Amino acid sequence: MVKGVKKTSDILDEMALKVLMIEPGDLSVVGELLELVEQLVGISSKEVEVGPVLAEMGSSFNAALEKIIMGELKDSAENFGFLGRCISQIQEIVRKNQAEAKDIKIFNDNLAAVGFRVGSDLPGGGDVAKEGEASLSKPAGGKSAIADVPDFLQDKELLAGFIEETFEHLESIEVNILDLEHSPDDEEIINNIFRPFHTIKGVSGFLNLKLINELAHTTENLLDDVRNGKRAMDSDVIDVVLSVGDFLRSMVQNIKDVLEKGAEYYQEFDISEYVTLVRTLQEGGSPVRSTAVKTVPPAPQQVLPLGDDEADDEVDEANEDDFVEEQVLASTVKAVVGPADGSRLSTSKVFAGADQSEAPAGPISRNRLGASIKVDIEKLDGLVNAVGELVIMQTMVQQNPLVSKLADPKLTKDFSQLSRITSELQKTAMAMRMVPIRQTFQKMIRLVRDLSKKSGKLVDLVMIGEETEIDRNMVDSIYDPLVHMIRNSVDHGVQVPAEREAVGKSPTGTVKLSAYQKGGYIVIEIEDDGQGLNTEKVRQKAIERGLIKEDDHLTDKELNNLVFLPGFSTADKITDVSGRGVGMDVVKKAVEKLRGKVEVISQPGEGSQCVIRLPLTLAIIDGIIVRVGAERYIIPTIAIQESIRPTPNFYNTVHGKGETLTIRNRLVPIIRLNEVFGVVAEYEDPFEAIVVVVEYEGRQRALMVDELLGKQEVVIKSLGGYMKDIKGVAGGTILGDGRVGLILDLAGLIAVSESSVPVEEKEEEVITGNKD
Amino acid sequence: MAAKDVRRGENLQVMPELAGKYLTFVLGEEEYGIFILQVREIIGIMEITSVPHTPPYVKGVINLRGRVIPVIDLRLKFAMAAREYDDRTCIIVVEVQGREGTIMVGMLVDSVSEVVNVSGTEVEPPPVFGTKFGSSDNILGMAKINNEVKILLDTYKVIGEGVVEHFEKK
Repeated sequence: MVKGVKKTSDILDEMALKVLMIEPGDLSVVGELLELVEQLVGISSKEVEVGPVLAEMGSSFNAALEKIIMGELKDSAENFGFLGRCISQIQEIVRKNQAEAKDIKIFNDNLAAVGFRVGSDLPGGGDVAKEGEASLSKPAGGKSAIADVPDFLQDKELLAGFIEETFEHLESIEVNILDLEHSPDDEEIINNIFRPFHTIKGVSGFLNLKLINELAHTTENLLDDVRNGKRAMDSDVIDVVLSVGDFLRSMVQNIKDVLEKGAEYYQEFDISEYVTLVRTLQEGGSPVRSTAVKTVPPAPQQVLPLGDDEADDEVDEANEDDFVEEQVLASTVKAVVGPADGSRLSTSKVFAGADQSEAPAGPISRNRLGASIKVDIEKLDGLVNAVGELVIMQTMVQQNPLVSKLADPKLTKDFSQLSRITSELQKTAMAMRMVPIRQTFQKMIRLVRDLSKKSGKLVDLVMIGEETEIDRNMVDSIYDPLVHMIRNSVDHGVQVPAEREAVGKSPTGTVKLSAYQKGGYIVIEIEDDGQGLNTEKVRQKAIERGLIKEDDHLTDKELNNLVFLPGFSTADKITDVSGRGVGMDVVKKAVEKLRGKVEVISQPGEGSQCVIRLPLTLAIIDGIIVRVGAERYIIPTIAIQESIRPTPNFYNTVHGKGETLTIRNRLVPIIRLNEVFGVVAEYEDPFEAIVVVVEYEGRQRALMVDELLGKQEVVIKSLGGYMKDIKGVAGGTILGDGRVGLILDLAGLIAVSESSVPVEEKEEEVITGNKD
Repeated sequence: MAAKDVRRGENLQVMPELAGKYLTFVLGEEEYGIFILQVREIIGIMEITSVPHTPPYVKGVINLRGRVIPVIDLRLKFAMAAREYDDRTCIIVVEVQGREGTIMVGMLVDSVSEVVNVSGTEVEPPPVFGTKFGSSDNILGMAKINNEVKILLDTYKVIGEGVVEHFEKK
């Protein structure tokens, strides 16, 4: 899962995100967190100054997490909140690169708040790490468990398919069950929940995943009763099915880990509590959940022997094979392609874009979907590549001197026909990578439901434009930031009903999630009608942290957007803007990785709105091709402001070295591309060359090049894992003549050119950089 | 997987597990071999776009039918003298399993010779030269065929992620 060697700060960022994602009872995320802490401890020794402190903090943190997993400490939201603060504290120390006693104290205090005592819970600081690692290295404990593992590892391909399908099934179960809350009598929905369970049961049985099979089977029985009218579909059942779904997900996730990383990651899951719970419900009892569910490390596997009726079931299964197949297909289809009719969803009122008519009547229209097939993403990329190559080859043939000499009208006509077909082909190939944002949005329904239940708030989630399409590769990366923003809106934006009524609002708050296309961008907005940001507090905090000065005059909008600065809302005091003590900068970073922008607009008392702007696709950018000596580079058009030929009266030097140009009354540093990239340029004299003025995060730079060659939409290609992270280069592309051109990465470029610039200037720029 | 077995066999005295078909090529006066299943294709020299901030032996990137792949000069990689490219110069495109999926890399060599069948008894472990000759880490073994010695390379180690780490340190 975790690739390559990471920097401490990267791991911390990831940890911060994870801690935001944790829901009580969701132990799989805690597991991921554990893994990250382990890495942190592992690499922190290299961070010379703070290494030992970090390692110690990591170990304590680790031990606290383990206690949560073991059920010794509560996995409540408050506790995770404290853990979030702990992470912030570690981040703070890393940022300052020195460990101050007060930071460590805050860290320890927060851990203590969780119920974990540094030092007293664990004998001797040194043992902490060892203990933690020892139990981590074999999460499942006993050897007997590991010996059982290969049981289901025999057919890895089938298993991989099962894992993927099961995740999809679980997702559809969740969506449907939330749907059911609004129309509990809809048989079609009950069927839609029943079938995936049936499929999971069938396939897991076939693959010898006994525990999963058992749990799915029990739940299926319960649902069968509901389907046959023996039991009503009430909120008890819904809650149980939801939690079973979550548990199944962590079980399947574990199998995935085992498959990817090896048998030692195998984890025992104790399903008995869930089984009892479901059975009690089935018998008409009411659910009494004893304790938080936990994994059981050493106990021998409690596989319930497949009794006679199970065996019968297997036979039934054989007969139902076709049926199962069909279901697999159906849900796959659902996952891949957006329905044409805009299915209506629940906890929320969903308007499908312009089509704002009444919800479609009856279950028939609900799941009518266009036919589709699932395609391996690699094949798709292969197709896109081949088509791109085709277009290039076509131009090359057309421009061949011999061919272009033939002034044959038929040939010209045929060529234009050919270009039409190829460009059509290219468009279609590109469109295949796009998927509706619906799936990502739908995951938020559950989030809002859980959050509002937990905080005792009434929240309506309204979704608009879920059929907006985004690049497939963006879907996963946009999920985490979206969760963070939604959580902020519900936790801190929307007030509790009493408070809302007091200010004359309806007791139910609204969180609006919308997506639409605008220009070359996909815009995602998260809007709530809560209390809005407290701009004055933000200002105070920014001054306190030395981000702005007392007499700085910033507009409200600029002030509000300060919350995106790193380390800003790590503050424990601004309760109404800070999340779990982890900064909004993780959102900003995630969005910027996708070459997007994020900003917040807020009206005190009226609510706040967060706007995320993303490029339509990650695959193509609009660029200007420039030449430096024999090399050609592509500068993203979006960053370019103008290009000029410098004149001596606007040219200045600093200490004879640093060069600047005065452009529209601003001093803009010159970056000589040939120097940064170590190539020989045609013009050394700036007055013969051309400069391209670019802007990145509010910083202007003049890039000196030999010539502008033209504007072109280029397909971004990675230089391969082999050459990732080259400073100043974002990727490559194939130019019209078949050669590779490099796409410039302005952030990296500026960083390289600045590497000898004094620190003060940089710091100042961080602030001004956020004004836009 | 055969390729994996090959790697593990490094320190054994007899190396039957290195038996198999190898593509041999020439660098200066020496002849080298790489495991044939790791070879994807052989192409003639073509225009290479240089990439900044990379070690000298990384010549740059090429367009392999729509895919951008890096090219390394094996002479420079092994600290041998550079040489002008001519029409016998080839790029051997190899594919190995990396940590994040397959890595495709082009290796520039003086010329490609042939595909030979190496039997296990013909292979000896790599000689130990001590540190002044650099490490023989990326050599799997030495094959003696018809009185000629062919150096069998560990493709993964030659082009593999060791290089990536090297980049990061820079």
